[in-house]
Amino acid sequence: MSGQRLGTIIGLELTQRTRSVAWYVLLGVFALLLVIVTALSFLAWGSVPQPGAAIYSTIVYITLLLIVLVSPTLSGNAINGDRDAATLAPVQVTLATTAEILLGKVLAAWITGLAFVAVALPFLVVATLAGGGSPSTITVSLLVLVFEVGIIAAIGVALSGILSRPLFSVATTYLVVMALVVGTVIAFALVGFTVRSEVTTHYRSLDYGEYTGDTYPCAPGEEPSDMNPCDDDVELSCGEWTTSTYEVPRFDHVWWLLAANPFVILADATPTQFDPNGYPRDLFGQIKFGVRAAQQAPELENRYDDCAPYREGDSPTPREVIDQSTPSWFVGMSLQLLLAAGLLWWAWARTRTPAGRLPSGTRIA
Amino acid sequence: MTTPGPAVAPPASAGEPGIVVQGVRRAFGPVQAVRSVSLHARSGRVTGLVGPNGSGKTTLLLMLASLLAPDDGVIRIDGIDPVADPQAARARLGWMPDSLGAWNALSSRETLVVTARLYGMPKPEASARADALLADVGLVELADAPARVLSRGQKQRLGLARALVHDPRVLLLDEPASGLDPQARIDLRLLLRRFAAEGRTVLVSSHILSELEEVADDAVFLLAGATVDPARVEAAARRARPWRVRLATVEGAAAVERVAAALGVPVEAVGVDRRDVVVSFESDEDAGAALRDLVTKGLDVVEFAAAQGSLERTFLDLGDGRPPQAPPPPPASAPPAAAPENGAAS
Repeated sequence: MSGQRLGTIIGLELTQRTRSVAWYVLLGVFALLLVIVTALSFLAWGSVPQPGAAIYSTIVYITLLLIVLVSPTLSGNAINGDRDAATLAPVQVTLATTAEILLGKVLAAWITGLAFVAVALPFLVVATLAGGGSPSTITVSLLVLVFEVGIIAAIGVALSGILSRPLFSVATTYLVVMALVVGTVIAFALVGFTVRSEVTTHYRSLDYGEYTGDTYPCAPGEEPSDMNPCDDDVELSCGEWTTSTYEVPRFDHVWWLLAANPFVILADATPTQFDPNGYPRDLFGQIKFGVRAAQQAPELENRYDDCAPYREGDSPTPREVIDQSTPSWFVGMSLQLLLAAGLLWWAWARTRTPAGRLPSGTRIA
Repeated sequence: MTTPGPAVAPPASAGEPGIVVQGVRRAFGPVQAVRSVSLHARSGRVTGLVGPNGSGKTTLLLMLASLLAPDDGVIRIDGIDPVADPQAARARLGWMPDSLGAWNALSSRETLVVTARLYGMPKPEASARADALLADVGLVELADAPARVLSRGQKQRLGLARALVHDPRVLLLDEPASGLDPQARIDLRLLLRRFAAEGRTVLVSSHILSELEEVADDAVFLLAGATVDPARVEAAARRARPWRVRLATVEGAAAVERVAAALGVPVEAVGVDRRDVVVSFESDEDAGAALRDLVTKGLDVVEFAAAQGSLERTFLDLGDGRPPQAPPPPPASAPPAAAPENGAAS
């Protein structure tokens, strides 16, 4: 691996991109969309006491969404497009190795995608100035954004080396990216509902039918008071225990499916800010809470006894749920890295020269 | 220039300089593009690669350029196996593809600098090399224009410059002359001769046989993916060859009669093509003797020339495996010494 050759390939790619007008039009459209989104999120979150965090997370999410939509076109025809234009072989015949060509193209596509992050930066600054976003939130969310741009770039370049038709490989890159964004959610829901468990509930009620009179008996543990003038002297008769069953989806078995979702990784990795009641302040935190709550196994044996003293049901706050659960972002990042690396390896085997078997319909030069 | 001779084997040792190919095969799925190729392109010589469309020339060049692996057989570029050590082979070979892909957004100078950098040249050196090559191929005025505005011929010249960037010892050119204007063709010819004179190896494929004839020292014939056996090439080259004779003032039937009479051959053995009389001779010696006869008999010969280049004739004769279309014997009068030799060869 030579730094000079790698740098030359990156430079070559970037020069070709920056000399096309379409590229600047795309950046302009992107900036325009962000202006609209920023204005709307200021309006939407205006009533919240500290809207900065919410606005910030909204803008980061929109940036990620736009990058997810744009990136495949930046990298999805890197190799086969060059082959079609007969500009791949003249590079392959130089001392540049297949790995250098692939890596150079991935890095160039990554840098190109980062230009979109750069365009989004002023808007993120505005959101931060509006009062939200702790430094850790900003740092981590930007790092994840940069990582995701790289993953999509790698997937696009790899698919363009695996498939011979540019149109087909761009479409496939979209499909893979959409599989990560939408497919993981669908898979999570479908598989989660498929893997069900039976919940058994035991219930015993108070037999109010046995009791007659003007007052009503005190429930177990209750004391008569002005607010609740129950009759403490009456003997309660308890009903029969009844048992019922129903099925619940086991999302705790499939939560890792969601982990590979770029939006989930972004939310999960970013440190969450909570309000005094333990509720997250931004979009990241809300999604993170949802994902972490899915990790909790459902209670499979429930016992409700009206005859026993009532215990205050202490359901945990989002903050407690998040604190007690496993972070999933590194699982997701690992899955994505594995996918990108595997595809790149496949592309390397397909693009290697001297070429052995060629995909049908391809020409070397 | 002498007639290009066959460059097919005798089997060369693999360590020899130049290009050595032995028993190379390559298929694309069910299509056997190259069936059996053996050749030796010697260093210090220009070797022409001749064959009809689809005969496997480009596939062979791709294998020599280390882009395609042969299914079987041995390739050596200056003793280096491009399959086992492509990096070393690439450092010494320059390849000019038939379809030149240019980076449309880049200028000619940038194209050459980028290529030089990919060969590991430091920046200042790459820049100097680009300028020198632009001057060499006559693109100085267009050096900073984007490649998309170049004409086909200009792109072809850029492609040639790109193949020369790293000063290769072995040059592989796939149809380099297509799209070039006459001046550029002459320049190309001179450049290839200079390269060979410097002890480098040049392998050129071309359809323009007259061009190839002027520049090639040796020729390799490729038919349906196989190099043609040298004996067959030899035989084809030795077959009777038509010569064009033009007499002053006399044309057509009258000229035929006079030429036939002067050479002592039947009138049917002599043909007519426009204003010229066409006669076949078995060898250059026969032709020389015939010219002497014509002049001695007092005919005003103003033109006496081979009707076809030798490459072209050999190519056409080999082309469809049909017998040569030269007029049937008896042959034109020949010096007694030459006759048995010719008879033995054909």
